[in-house]
Amino acid sequence: MSERVGAVPDALKILVAGGFGAGKTTLVSALSEVESLHTEEVMTAESVGVDDLDGVETKTTTTVALDFGRITLDEHTVIYMFGTPGQQRFSFMWEELAEGALGAIVLADTRRLEDCFDTIDFFEQREVPFVVAVNCFDGVRTHMPADVRIALDVDPNVPVMLCDARERESVKRVMIELVSHVLELELSGAG
Amino acid sequence: MSGSLDDGGRLIRPYSLTRGRTRPSRSDFAMTSQVVAVPRMAPPTDLEPEHHAILEACAAPASVAELASRTGLPLGVLRILLSDLLDAGHVMVHESQWQRRRPDVHTLRTVLDRIRAL
Repeated sequence: MSERVGAVPDALKILVAGGFGAGKTTLVSALSEVESLHTEEVMTAESVGVDDLDGVETKTTTTVALDFGRITLDEHTVIYMFGTPGQQRFSFMWEELAEGALGAIVLADTRRLEDCFDTIDFFEQREVPFVVAVNCFDGVRTHMPADVRIALDVDPNVPVMLCDARERESVKRVMIELVSHVLELELSGAG
Repeated sequence: MSGSLDDGGRLIRPYSLTRGRTRPSRSDFAMTSQVVAVPRMAPPTDLEPEHHAILEACAAPASVAELASRTGLPLGVLRILLSDLLDAGHVMVHESQWQRRRPDVHTLRTVLDRIRAL
């Protein structure tokens, strides 16, 4: 058992997922009270799930970077936003992050919507509530949320919205949308 | 001391810091668990430099993820060294009550209000 510590805030987790280059780190930085933090995990052959080590004797580990930010809400509660690596082979990290997560923001890049498919499957399977935020960082609104919803085939109750991951107010709106969505799910008993 | 172990640290294999151990002796260290060093009159003398770097980084409560960021240690390695420190009584750990389950309605409402006020 853990020794308990008084006056230490409870942490909440919000995951920020999306394909490579979708703007996860930018979004996390937009709202984080500290400069985006960075940690890494060493993947051993075991955690990668490699069962054939032939030819990889010289390198059995590789590192996975994880960016995250912190938002202190009050003395009792702090939110950590984790920008999770999108690739399938990093799923061992996702399992831990998904456990108890308040919810997730799936950051979609309309040029590569297919990058979100695995992510959305993962959250649906583990019943992690999520919203889809379409990052319009180039200022071009080539896709409307309704089109993205169809392309991603998400449940009708999943919020899909446009955002600019560089803009604090825009990211704040996404967060509000996410927490409202989770609250509605809990109130309707579907959480 | 900055607490960063980056200077030349990559020349050695990460798990050599843990004497080959790849799993911690306990599993208290979730990414968002808050760790704080137990205040001492003098720093413990029987620890490795990495242990000291961790203790320095959590003089005030810090999450496991933040400790990894501050010390530059990979998470897996950090968790093992944190287990050493916990076993020896040098740190305390607080797991969030929301570590394994989603926050309740009351908490969600508070979170919503707080985010709106940011």
